[in-house]
Amino acid sequence: MIFFDNVSYQYTERQESLKEINLTVNDGEVVLVCGPSGCGKSTLVRCVNGLIPHFYQGILTGQVTVGGKDVSTTTLRKISRHVGTVFQNPRSQFFNVDTTSELAFGCENFGIAPEEIEQRINTVVNKHDMGHLMDRSIFKLSGGEKQKIACASIAVEPVDIIVLDEPSANLDYKGICELQKMIASWKEEGKTILIAEHRISYLFPYITRALLMNDGRIVKEYTSKEISSMPEDKLHELGLRAEKMTDPSDIKISVCDHTGQEKLILSDMKYSYKGEKPIFDIPRLEIPSGEIIGIVGANGAGKSTFLRCLCGMERTCKATLTVGSERWNNKMRRRNIYMVMQDVNHQLFTDSVLEEVMISQDEENKEEALEILEALDLREYADKHPLALSGGQKQRVAVASAIASGRSIILFDEPTSGLDYEHMLQVSRLLKQLQEKGKTVIIVTHDIELLRNACTVTIKFDNEMYRTDARM
Amino acid sequence: MEYRLNRDVHSFLDPRTKLLLLFTSSVFVVGNAGEKWMFVFYWILVYLPVLLLFIEKEWKAGLISIAIYVGSYFAQTALQNDLTAIESVLALMLYIITKILPTVILARYIVKTTKVSEFLAAMNRMHVTDKLTIPISVIFRFFPTVAEESRAINNAMRMRGIEMGAKKSTEAVEYRMVPLIASCSIIGEELSAAAMTRGLDVGKRRSCIWKIRFGIFDWIIITLCVTCFIWWGIGRFFI
Repeated sequence: MIFFDNVSYQYTERQESLKEINLTVNDGEVVLVCGPSGCGKSTLVRCVNGLIPHFYQGILTGQVTVGGKDVSTTTLRKISRHVGTVFQNPRSQFFNVDTTSELAFGCENFGIAPEEIEQRINTVVNKHDMGHLMDRSIFKLSGGEKQKIACASIAVEPVDIIVLDEPSANLDYKGICELQKMIASWKEEGKTILIAEHRISYLFPYITRALLMNDGRIVKEYTSKEISSMPEDKLHELGLRAEKMTDPSDIKISVCDHTGQEKLILSDMKYSYKGEKPIFDIPRLEIPSGEIIGIVGANGAGKSTFLRCLCGMERTCKATLTVGSERWNNKMRRRNIYMVMQDVNHQLFTDSVLEEVMISQDEENKEEALEILEALDLREYADKHPLALSGGQKQRVAVASAIASGRSIILFDEPTSGLDYEHMLQVSRLLKQLQEKGKTVIIVTHDIELLRNACTVTIKFDNEMYRTDARM
Repeated sequence: MEYRLNRDVHSFLDPRTKLLLLFTSSVFVVGNAGEKWMFVFYWILVYLPVLLLFIEKEWKAGLISIAIYVGSYFAQTALQNDLTAIESVLALMLYIITKILPTVILARYIVKTTKVSEFLAAMNRMHVTDKLTIPISVIFRFFPTVAEESRAINNAMRMRGIEMGAKKSTEAVEYRMVPLIASCSIIGEELSAAAMTRGLDVGKRRSCIWKIRFGIFDWIIITLCVTCFIWWGIGRFFI
C-alpha cells in the first residue's frame, strides 16, 4: 500500500513541486498519474521510490508510507526491496554492460542466492520471449529493446510495487506494445503499479483509476471508464495526448496533388550495415519542396538512418539529391541540409545562445542573429548558456541555428518524443514557421498527432516500399 | 525455444588475474623496472596482450596493434643519432608509444571482457572495500558511453561544418568537450539514481550469478607475473 499524508515538496534547484498531496493506493491497483509536463507527476513517483528525499535535494513535509514504512526514515536500499522503478530514459538506467547481468543486478544487490536468481531470470525471459536479447551488449540494443530489458530487470526482482516514470517517452509503436504486455503481466501477478504519463491511451485497458495533476496538486480523479471515454478535445484541454495506438503500417495515405510544384529528387540511395542486407534501397523518390514532409513507418524500417544518410553523415551511403539544376553528393548535402537531432544536447556547442546562432552563419552577423532569436522567442536568452535552457528552448536554439545557416532543407529526427500536447503544438507551429520561410522540412516521427497537425506530405516506409501521398 | 541461463560462462581469465597482469605490465613495460635484466619477461609482457586479443578472436585489432608497435619500434630505433629538434620530439613520442601501447591494449581488453558483476564479486573476494570498487566498476560502462556520445557529437559537428581544417577549427576541441561533459554528467546522475533504486549500496553483501574461479590459464599468468617479480628481486638485491 502507498500512502501520502498531506505531502508537499519543493526542489532546491527546480521550479516543479508537490503541494498537499493526499493519496492512498491499495495493493494490486494500477494507477495512472497524468498531467502536462512540469505538473509534478514525476516528483510524485520519486516520493514513492525514495529518490525523494534520499537522492534529490529539497524540502519535504508530510509523510509518505510505502508498504507500512515511512519513506523518509527508511534507507533507499530497504525501499528498493519493495519498490522497482522503470525510468524514462533507457540510455541511462543500466549499471551493467551486458543484458544478463543487468537482469540479475537488483537481486545480486540484495544478496539473493545465485541459484534463485537464475530461476527468476529463466522464468521472466521465457515468459516474455526475450531469449534473443540475452548475453548482448546494452550498447547494441535499440531504444525499445533497452526499455524491455529495463522492465524485465524489475520483473526479476521480488518487488511488490512498481513505479514507472514516463516509460513510453522514447518508444515507438512496437515498443509500446511490448510495454503493455509487461504491465499486463505485472497486473496479473497482483503488483501495485503507479505510472506517470501524459501519453495515456495505451494504458486504458489496465488502469483502475487515473489522477490528473496540475501545478503540483492532484486536481481530479477519474475512473478508468471515465478517462478512456473522454473525447479528444477534452484530453487536449487537460494537456494530455489523445492519440490512439496506431500501427504505423496502418496509416492511410490519401493522395494530394502537387503537380507542377518544384521538387527534390532522391536517387540511388542504398544503405546497409557491414555485411548485412540493405536496410533500405531507394532507386528514386520524389519529394515536393517547400512542404512539411512526415516520414512514418514500422520499426526497423531505417527511418532515422535514412535521415542521417540524407544529410550526408553516413559516409558509406552514396546517393544523389537533385535540387533544381544541382546534383548534391554526400559532401554537398552535408553543407546544404541541416538536421535537428533527437537529442539536441549533442548539437549545442558554444557558451551562449547568440554565439550558437552566429557560428552557423556564413558571415557572422549579430543583427541578423538577434532577429532570428526574436522570431523564435529566444531574444531574452541570447546571453544564456544553451545547455542551461529547457528541452523545448534548446530545440528552438537548434532551429535558430538551422535558420541562420541559410540551408533550404531542414530535417528533424523525432522532434516531439516525450512531449505533452502543448509542447507538441509548439513544435508544430515552429515547423510551420519554417515552411513559411520557404524551407523544406522533413521529419521522422512516430507521433501521429504531430503528423496530423503539421505535415502536408506523408512518406511511408513499409516493406521496402517508399510511398508518398504527393502526386507530382 | 526455451531460454536457460548458463552461469558458467566466464571469460578466458578471472578478473583478479587480469588486474595482476595489468599491474605487472605497468611495472615492467611502462615503468621499465629491471631494464636489461628483465629482457625476456619484457618481451613476453609486450606481446601477451595481443595474444589475448587473438584468443578473443579480435584479429583486426590484434594485427593493427602489432603493426603500430613494430612500426614505432623500428622508427624509433632508426631515429638515434644526429637528430634535429623535430626528429627528437618525434623519437620521444614513438618511444612513449612503444612503452604504453601494450598496457593500453591490455586495459582495453580488460574493460571489454570483464562483466561489471564479475568484477564486483572478484574484488569482494579479495576483501577490497566497496567504497573503491563501486566507483571503479563504473569505468566499464563509462568508455562505451563516452564513445557513443562523442560519435553523435562528432556527427553534429560535421553537419554544422565545424571540423578540423574547416571553419572554427581552433575552437573545434572546446566545442566537442562542452556537450560531451554535459551529457556524460547527466547520464552519470541518472545512472546513480537508477542504481540506488535497485539496491546498490556501499558496505552490503552482494551475491553474483557468475561463477568466478581460477582456471589453468589463470595459474599460468599468475605464475608468470610472480616469476617476473621474483626474477626482478633477484637481479636487484642479489646481483
